[in-house]
Amino acid sequence: MIFQTPIMALLLVAGLASLTALWSGGFAVQVLRRWNLADMSRAQLQRERATELVSTLFAAVMLAELAALLLFVFNADRMASLFVGAMCAVGTLNVNGYGFPALYLKIGVFFAATLWLMLDRADRMGRDYPLTKVKYGVMLAIVPLVLADAGTELAYFLNMHTDVITSCCSKLFTPANAGLANEMASIGPGMSLWLLGFAGLAVAVSGAVVLWSGRGALAYAFLSALMFALALTAVVSVIAPYIYEYPNHHCPFCILKPEYNYYGYALYIPLFLGTGLGVGAGMLSLFRNRESLADKLPAMIRRQVIWSMAGFAGFGLATLYAIASSNLIIFG
Amino acid sequence: MTPWLRRQRALADYTLASLARRKGKNIALVAVYAIVVFVLASAMFFAASLRFETSAVLRDAPEVTVQKITMGRQDLIEGSVAEEIGKIRGVTSAKPRLWGYYYDRIVGANYTVMVPDDPEMIPEPGSVIVGEGIPRARGFKWSGAPLFLSRYEGDLKRFDVARAFESDSALMTSDLMLMNEADFRDFFEIPAGLYTDVVATVRNPNEVATIVEKGSNALPQMRFVTRSDIERTYQKLFDWREGLLAALAAAGILAFVIFAAEKASGLSAEEMREIGILKAVGWDTRDVIAMKLWEGGLVSLGAFLLGTVTAFAHVFFFGAPLFAPILKGWAVIYPDFALAPHVDGLELLTLALLTIVPYIAATLVPIWRVASGDPDAVMR
Amino acid sequence: MITLTSVTKLYNEGRPNEVQALKGIDLTIARDAITVLKGPSGSGKTTLLSIVACMARPTTGRVTLDGEVVSGLPERFLTELRRTTFGFVFQRFNLIRGLSVIENVMLPAAPLGGDHAKVRERALERLAALDLADKAQMPVEFLSGGETQRAAIARALINDAPIVIADEPTANLDTDLTMRFLEIVRALRAEGKTVIMTSHDPRIWDAEGVDAVVEMRDGAIFGEFA
Ligand SMILES: Nc1ncnc2c1ncn2[C@@H]1O[C@H](COP(=O)(O)OP(=O)(O)O)[C@@H](O)[C@H]1O
Ligand SMILES: [Mg+2]
Repeated sequence: MIFQTPIMALLLVAGLASLTALWSGGFAVQVLRRWNLADMSRAQLQRERATELVSTLFAAVMLAELAALLLFVFNADRMASLFVGAMCAVGTLNVNGYGFPALYLKIGVFFAATLWLMLDRADRMGRDYPLTKVKYGVMLAIVPLVLADAGTELAYFLNMHTDVITSCCSKLFTPANAGLANEMASIGPGMSLWLLGFAGLAVAVSGAVVLWSGRGALAYAFLSALMFALALTAVVSVIAPYIYEYPNHHCPFCILKPEYNYYGYALYIPLFLGTGLGVGAGMLSLFRNRESLADKLPAMIRRQVIWSMAGFAGFGLATLYAIASSNLIIFG
Repeated sequence: MTPWLRRQRALADYTLASLARRKGKNIALVAVYAIVVFVLASAMFFAASLRFETSAVLRDAPEVTVQKITMGRQDLIEGSVAEEIGKIRGVTSAKPRLWGYYYDRIVGANYTVMVPDDPEMIPEPGSVIVGEGIPRARGFKWSGAPLFLSRYEGDLKRFDVARAFESDSALMTSDLMLMNEADFRDFFEIPAGLYTDVVATVRNPNEVATIVEKGSNALPQMRFVTRSDIERTYQKLFDWREGLLAALAAAGILAFVIFAAEKASGLSAEEMREIGILKAVGWDTRDVIAMKLWEGGLVSLGAFLLGTVTAFAHVFFFGAPLFAPILKGWAVIYPDFALAPHVDGLELLTLALLTIVPYIAATLVPIWRVASGDPDAVMR
Repeated sequence: MITLTSVTKLYNEGRPNEVQALKGIDLTIARDAITVLKGPSGSGKTTLLSIVACMARPTTGRVTLDGEVVSGLPERFLTELRRTTFGFVFQRFNLIRGLSVIENVMLPAAPLGGDHAKVRERALERLAALDLADKAQMPVEFLSGGETQRAAIARALINDAPIVIADEPTANLDTDLTMRFLEIVRALRAEGKTVIMTSHDPRIWDAEGVDAVVEMRDGAIFGEFA
């Protein structure tokens, strides 16, 4: 265990999020069993009022988890100097087997909380709380995720030893090794840019269809998810090398460092935004036929699709700028 | 402005008026909150600043330092060691160094005395080049005043100050004194051919481990210290000290959280009535929660700003006098220096999470409880 | 039109101190009229008023407002409906001390997110119509009884709600002020507002302009007079 202030902050957030999740899970069970809007009793009124607390708590958890996600990566980067072999966040995350799972779970919790808040918002628009049962059913699935995140994070920090020699991005993200990271790195830069371009085009077309006809949000959601995967691949295989101006450095974390002007944030924030909103739009479109939402949900879906497209466009611009302003020449 | 923004503005307006009406209570709350932030921020700023300075200094340091160890202690090293190390593949240069500490009994300060590598910086025999801290410590009124150094009772040695230099990083240079080699050997009585240590630069940083291994095999009585070893040691030390202080602050945070929760749930009859009125005239539970969150946000922001700004002044302008007893251990590493102000996003984010999150967590449930009262309560 | 069908209200449901405040009320309250609920203290007037005005949900029964069923609505939508439909003048006025008259008047508009300048203008107009324009910036604790009530009326009207509700409006007023109040009510009626009041004050139910009087006893309707 390394005794450090950012680690304490991260564990604090994880602990509070777990407490919230446990309590909300208990409440969710109660809602699934007893929620009945026809019932005008005081108990039902109090359940309705408690949903306000749950929504507020989840919004707070989502914000805190977002901050924690940033801090987690930031801190991993800074701690790299403590471990032999670590040059950036990758090395720190590789110190033991819990690092990367903890990161993925954190990202998962953040997305899950965001999607849940979208459901919550949609639910509140209908006079009969049309999605309440769905919402709390989904909540029961999120609870284990939050707990797993806290547990993994704790295990990660408790098992951190400064005497281990870790392997960093230069070993992980090279075509020479086996594994997903290396496969991402070894996709040809041209191929990966073409794929990204096609995905971007597909997203734009599908988004236009949603805006124009109000249909096809589900397809848009799938394309958003695909775009996310291809964008991450492109970051590893081409965009990062352009930023480093070094064809063999593929690390998707070093671009977050101050040495590279925190350029990674300009890529990741719009990308996450675009993906979250896009997937959320698809999720919401599943409930478009609920009677009490029929007049409001399409507008919300459209807004999300617009913002999601703006997010992807932001990612695209950041990518183009990175390539245009780089001194590295890969093609030509 | 959208209706959403206008609603937020109206709620914020109400909150400000409400805070102003209960000045005494809110000032007390902000003050206690700010003290918690202050303590934690001071500890973190101090540690982070040391970390920053250390890595700034170490960035220019040679990759490998070789020391001779006799009876478990560092001893003077023969100049020939440098030649042997220079022969190892991958080493671009290896040079012996002469440097040491001098305790100035007249003003009670420690100076670092060094023979510079850079020929431009080597002073004439009988004179020295000093960091600006030394004339200041000595209280020199005019430039050109001679510097008298006393190594022991009754000893007095005169140097002319060739010039004094200034620098941003006070950590290493303001107490630095440069001499030429003959003066240094004479002043510290060091025989010819012996040096303090040997430093080596390496072509490829990835080869440091291999070079150290080869060197240790060839020269078993020498100790090889790499730059990253030094950096790691310092980092660990600083982290540990900072963590210790933060743990102390955690107790303070806990006490504060209990205090805040108490305050949030034990509203006065007057405040309860006000919220009852708001609900009766058409505010929803959500509106009241939003208004209360504005209140919490404004209180947090005020306390956070107040706490960090005072902590900044405390650490960087006044040298953290309130924590002197705990921080002493740090100061021993580098005798007598002023910290260069340095704060980064990581620290501020950590600080915000450690102070604001517990406050919001402590007050959310009480806020909700107050906000979810019956709207018709004030009709009775 | 507001209709109530078999409305009952229990307080402290399921506990030993359970009170049945309303016992199977069937009632129709006309729009574009002044209706007074009369009856002795404890007869359930305030409770009935709070249910009519979407402030509380009945324990059983059905309430409709202009044809829409509102008794089953979640509290949040009930509040949304209420703040644009009903303006309240409370028995104890319930102004917030420490805030000025105009700030108090503007309070119900805050959650609606209307344009600040416009709301303010509307508030000043209302205050002027009620002879309070010169007191707009004064903290409410310095107002006299009659002024306090008029400030409360101005607040009830800030969202331009079509229905004005007043609970025991004249309980603390002398005859002159009562007459003044009745004049204001008639002016509101002339503006097209619907007014519903409770009172056990004969000066109110006998007043000119009152269209309907509903008498209550022990949580039930005892008689209706037009
Ligand atoms: N919140 C409450 N809890 C318990 N009993 C209540 C509550 N509010 C009103 N009551 C009871 O309900 C009955 C009707 O009260 P109310 O509607 O205030 O009558 P009125 O306004 O005609 O004086 C009374 O017996 C009163 O004691
Ligand atoms: Mg009453």
